[in-house]
Amino acid sequence: MAKIEFRHVVKRFGAVDVIPDMNLVIDDGEFVALLGPSGCGKSTSLFMLAGIYLPSGGELLFDGRVVNEVEARDRNVGIVFQSYALYPHMSVRDNILFPLRFKKTPRDEALARVKAVAELVRVEELLDRRPGELSGGQQQRVALARALVKEPELLLLDEPLSNLDASLRLSMRTEIKSLHAQLGVTTLLVTHDQIEATTMADRIICMRAGRIEQVGTPDDLYLRPSSLFVAGFIGSPPINLIAGDAEGGMVAVNGARFPVEGASGRLTVGLRPEHLRFADTGFPGRIAQIEPMGREILYVVETGMGAVRVLEQGSSAGHSTGEEVKVSFLPENSLVFETERQKLIAGAHVRAPD
Amino acid sequence: MVAPATADWDALAARARLVRRSKAAVLYAFLIAVSLPIILPYFWLVTIAFSARTGVAETAVLWRSMGVVVPAVIAFWLTAALAQSRRQLWTGITAVAVIASLAFALLVGPDLHLGNFIFLWEPDFASVVRSRVGEVRGAVQFPNVWHAFANSILIAGAQTAIVVTVASLAAYYLSRFHFPGRSAMLRSLLVLHAFPVLTLIVPMFLMLYWIGLLDTLFGVILVLVAFELPFAIFIMKGFFDAVPWDIEMSALTDGASRRQAFVSVVLPQVRNGILAIAVFTFIRGWEEYIFVFTFLIRNSNWTMSLYMYWVRDDVMGVDYGVVSAVGVFYLVPSLILYMAAQRYLMQMSIGGVKG
Repeated sequence: MAKIEFRHVVKRFGAVDVIPDMNLVIDDGEFVALLGPSGCGKSTSLFMLAGIYLPSGGELLFDGRVVNEVEARDRNVGIVFQSYALYPHMSVRDNILFPLRFKKTPRDEALARVKAVAELVRVEELLDRRPGELSGGQQQRVALARALVKEPELLLLDEPLSNLDASLRLSMRTEIKSLHAQLGVTTLLVTHDQIEATTMADRIICMRAGRIEQVGTPDDLYLRPSSLFVAGFIGSPPINLIAGDAEGGMVAVNGARFPVEGASGRLTVGLRPEHLRFADTGFPGRIAQIEPMGREILYVVETGMGAVRVLEQGSSAGHSTGEEVKVSFLPENSLVFETERQKLIAGAHVRAPD
Repeated sequence: MVAPATADWDALAARARLVRRSKAAVLYAFLIAVSLPIILPYFWLVTIAFSARTGVAETAVLWRSMGVVVPAVIAFWLTAALAQSRRQLWTGITAVAVIASLAFALLVGPDLHLGNFIFLWEPDFASVVRSRVGEVRGAVQFPNVWHAFANSILIAGAQTAIVVTVASLAAYYLSRFHFPGRSAMLRSLLVLHAFPVLTLIVPMFLMLYWIGLLDTLFGVILVLVAFELPFAIFIMKGFFDAVPWDIEMSALTDGASRRQAFVSVVLPQVRNGILAIAVFTFIRGWEEYIFVFTFLIRNSNWTMSLYMYWVRDDVMGVDYGVVSAVGVFYLVPSLILYMAAQRYLMQMSIGGVKG
């Protein structure tokens, strides 16, 4: 188990600063997710932690020791790759044994540990098979077993669920989370899927273009996104972002005008689809499209300020396409951002027109 | 209205069936006709090797055996095309095989013998063969055929070992590391392969002479390695490119050094590529003629191709049978190798070549 620290870490590839300046502390035993779109530097950070990439600057610390120059094989880090990266020419047993081979673990002890970890991830009947003969979910478990068998100080998961089908993803999510609870190993999950991040991690680090946008609990990121980027990235269906100008306590968007508190100038209003509802008062609009999603129904409503998405609980549509409706929301659920700096204005709210 | 239309359709269907069948018949006839001249030399080599006798330029056996084999092959095709079930197919094939082998035993069998393989046990076979037709003087002093065989194995084997080792390491480096001049090197690899060997034979002769490796097997091995390496590196690079980075990174974090990762994780992934270039390189060395002919002089350095050349030069016109028998003996190892490695050679294209 280890406490991980990034101190002004820089990574350059040629002339490109992939990571300009990264500062981050991950506590011992924490489950942290690095979330961001592809190309945001999250995999680069992971490979630096693993010791495959050398940082171009700054310090990387494990338990207070600088490990910048420590070779990958000496770091005791377990990785589960997106492709699982099992060794196709070896049996599952040999795959899991592989990390112990270089630690010169006595054969008996090594086999015992393989057996124990195989039971932990429930692949003990598969030990004699080849990776090619396993299903995606089984390969995933084997990859986990291989990463865990050396009792790593840090477990790195690189998009571990993206190659699984939807139902398997759900059960693996639960399983990885309970494995973490059981073993208490410091775990870093890299993903572009917000659901994976919010469901599994204690803390989420949202990254964009090599910089950390926000660090916080899943709730922090969802309810109090610090920037337009985080607000737009987290949440599905995505948040409604409406840009306008505020003057004298009123925001003007296209033709629509509505009250705002605590902010002025060029603003962007963020309203989550599930916080919007149909009411007797509010923004007048017309339902353009209805998308039933099973548990919920998504309405696309054309209003004076543009199309907004409204999410309603229930499985049958209470409205029909073309219907004239009014959309409203509670002021405390609204988010107001500065359009220029893209930052959240704390305490600012908007109100639906009466 | 309906009835005449149906009758018309039947006629149309019958005509279409006839056209389809006659097209297939013409196509098969054409294919058989063009494949005959291609197969004939191979057939000639094997039949004459086992049947010809000294001083007799006899081709009757050849035609008789062709007369058995060609109908047998056609009968196999027909059985395969006409059989309705697996059971019919097997009975048909068995029947054709039994009839064909009976006919072969009756028509060709009595003429078969192993006398032409005299060179395997009689080093001075040239004199023996010549004496049968009363011509004794002037026979070439042949080394023991097994000596030539061993030389060929040595050249092909050593060349293969060097090419496989160097090509694997070079291709891995080209595939995984970026260094100045990498793409120029890749391009020049292919250009090197474009040189016809004859253009370089004089400078190489002089170089080998200066170095002192002329008329040594080692000299020929080095020359062959130089010629085979570029293409082998290129093929191997394609195989290494197909090995995912993840596997290697995984091995590194699992505690392996770069070298251990290469040996225990990457190399097994390109096993088929290694086998493929090994077989091709070995066969290339086995069939090598121009270099050994130019650079090797003493008859103790002869390889199988030189041996074959001198046999042909010396007893041709006297005994086709011995020449063919040497040919068959020369051919067998590469044939066995090809058959054993077929599975891997087919995968050459899977490894692919990426820039």
